[in-house]
Amino acid sequence: MRVIWSLAATTIGEAIRRRVLLIILFIGVFLTMIAPALTVLSARQEMTVLKSFMLGMVQITGAVIAIVLTVYMIPNEVERRTIYTILSKPVQRWQFLVGKFMGAILALGLMMALMAVVVVILFIYRQSGITSESLALVKGIMMFYVQMCLLAAVGVFFSTFVSPIVNFFLTGGLFLVGSVFNPFMQTMTENKELPPVLLMLFKTLNVAIPNFANYNVQNPIINPGQVIQNEQHYFIAVTGYGLLYIGILLVGAILIFDRREV
Amino acid sequence: MKGKSTFLAILAVCFIGQAGLQQGVIYDKWTKNYSTKNSAQGIAPGLDPTQLMLAVAGFREMIAGILWVRADSFFDTGNYDAVLPMIRLVTWLDPHQIDVYSTGMWHIAYNFTDEESRSDRRYVPQALALGEEGTVNNPDTYELFFETGWIWYHKIDDDYEKAVDWFVKAHDKKDILRARRNLLRMAYYRAGRIEDALKLEFDLVDEANKIMEGKDASSAFSDNTLRDTRENNLDTDLVRLASRGYFAKERKDGSFERLPYDVKPPFDVGFSAKVTVESSAVMLIEGTWNVLPVGTRVRVILRDAEDENDPERKTKPAAMIWDYVKGVDLAVPTKLTFMQDQLYVRSRRFKKRIDMSRDYTMYPFAAEKYYIEFYYNPRSAPAHMQDKFGYTGEGFTDKNFLNTEVRPGERVMFTRLEITRDQIKREGNFRPGMETPILKTANYIEQTSADRQNEDLILVPGLRSDAKTPEAPKPADNTLRPIRKP
Repeated sequence: MRVIWSLAATTIGEAIRRRVLLIILFIGVFLTMIAPALTVLSARQEMTVLKSFMLGMVQITGAVIAIVLTVYMIPNEVERRTIYTILSKPVQRWQFLVGKFMGAILALGLMMALMAVVVVILFIYRQSGITSESLALVKGIMMFYVQMCLLAAVGVFFSTFVSPIVNFFLTGGLFLVGSVFNPFMQTMTENKELPPVLLMLFKTLNVAIPNFANYNVQNPIINPGQVIQNEQHYFIAVTGYGLLYIGILLVGAILIFDRREV
Repeated sequence: MKGKSTFLAILAVCFIGQAGLQQGVIYDKWTKNYSTKNSAQGIAPGLDPTQLMLAVAGFREMIAGILWVRADSFFDTGNYDAVLPMIRLVTWLDPHQIDVYSTGMWHIAYNFTDEESRSDRRYVPQALALGEEGTVNNPDTYELFFETGWIWYHKIDDDYEKAVDWFVKAHDKKDILRARRNLLRMAYYRAGRIEDALKLEFDLVDEANKIMEGKDASSAFSDNTLRDTRENNLDTDLVRLASRGYFAKERKDGSFERLPYDVKPPFDVGFSAKVTVESSAVMLIEGTWNVLPVGTRVRVILRDAEDENDPERKTKPAAMIWDYVKGVDLAVPTKLTFMQDQLYVRSRRFKKRIDMSRDYTMYPFAAEKYYIEFYYNPRSAPAHMQDKFGYTGEGFTDKNFLNTEVRPGERVMFTRLEITRDQIKREGNFRPGMETPILKTANYIEQTSADRQNEDLILVPGLRSDAKTPEAPKPADNTLRPIRKP
């Protein structure tokens, strides 16, 4: 565990020093900060647009950071040959991968926490006080964090066997597909004319593809009139789903990385 | 690799675990609580790729909010046709924006109007369908149940059982505003469900008293006002019920037959009408309504004799069925003509010119045959008229046009004239310069010049002791007289 933590701590340090990540974070925070100015566009929809824009910015910035952070993770180590130094020590390959992943999601967590603080402060300022709505925003950002951890795991998985550019598009593409798969699945299941074979295929894909849409829980946060029964159960279930899927991706990455000649 | 089998076992366990969670737990909950619930329409039809990208990237509600603001600007500039697709897009993207549904229903049902500010009734079924979809997507709040009920109660103003159904559903929600609960009482009365109305009124008074328990009237102003209003409503309704003989009839002890209740004897409203097609799609409607107090609005409808949008292809007297549209499809039936207006009675006569010539899209006159229907339902009448006519028209009659079938359980005035397309459009044998189409009820009598002098005279009941009401032309013996101070 100490090995994993050492690797994670190093990765966090590297992430914080990387200018590209800091620039992405700065843009995200800046756009979040100007969100209240957008509400002049929206008259009666002021709070809807404000909350939606803020949460959207957190999500999209988090996604870009998660992808950029992970696609270079393993290739950089190989390119700079630092991986040889690490693996020559009593560090197993799985520990290396898990350590890098842990570092990535902790760095991601720090950056998303910063954005969350900005969002909540701005919202409290707009609302002139702490309300249940401002706390609900944190709930949404926490779900986005789980989503981004899953996305980071996808990036780590692909980084064990493809180049960073290919990885960027693969991970980004899978994020988009995973973000629309639930609505797409719903469309398919409600289509009475769909052949059973195709329906079965979609159901198989539904359990095979990492489903990022599960974490888009912002609609009830933006429209607080909606009452959801047992919301906590859903959050626990999707967090569990995320952990299990991260497990699949990390184990897959370990198995692939183990066969790779490094 | 050491422990490869362990990793494979972990892999298998994780895969099965996530698959079970996704298919068994998460997907159903997501569909119930987080989806747009319009997936049968596709993910977000009508969005351009940029908007779609933004929508799936987490900006769904923001796109919806901005589109809705755009819809507002279209409405402000009078571009109503552009509002409809916006409403649909916004409700697809963010089906939990109550305001979009309620304002959208209002736009559709009320704001598409012709030159004379008559709303396009062909949109009413679409407004109801939108409201129903809104209630499915937002079942936890009273608002859209109430708004849908309001369309039935106020806009359709006819099938009050439907209004009751929706208002009752709104009542069941915890967040309903107290003041809005009073409207169910009105809907019950109009639906003829007097017992239900009374029970509700007593419940509302009890509730208001409970709220006031231990409170000082001066410090709990709004609560005290609420109690006063509800008590006043109850008192007024009890007096009305008594004076209209409702309790006497319910007792079934012969007292209703014996005593002079306000609804006795049934009053003959003496309806007659004449329709002159002055020019293409311009009708002059004149007629009589032998009721002196102001406040009468006789409904007039001109519509296709056969409605191809009516799934049962039956002719419904005075358009009873409005909720035949299943699912929201905001395309209006373009070949259908449906004009509805009110004939305001002054000095026991009405005269109104209805111009449908300037709005071809709203009045396409695509069919060969049309009905002009005249309809009066005492349940829609104001309270001072109902004091004579009763809740179901027991104090009301018309020797020519009393109808007890078109609205089961009610006594209404209903009559229908038939008119052809050639007549209404002044084509064929009815071209200008040739025969002028004139349709009238058999009992219509032309006015004399003396009658015409009084045509614009409005007889308003006076409250001052020296107020004089001018003689109305040819009053019938049982004409309703204005109430004057002795």
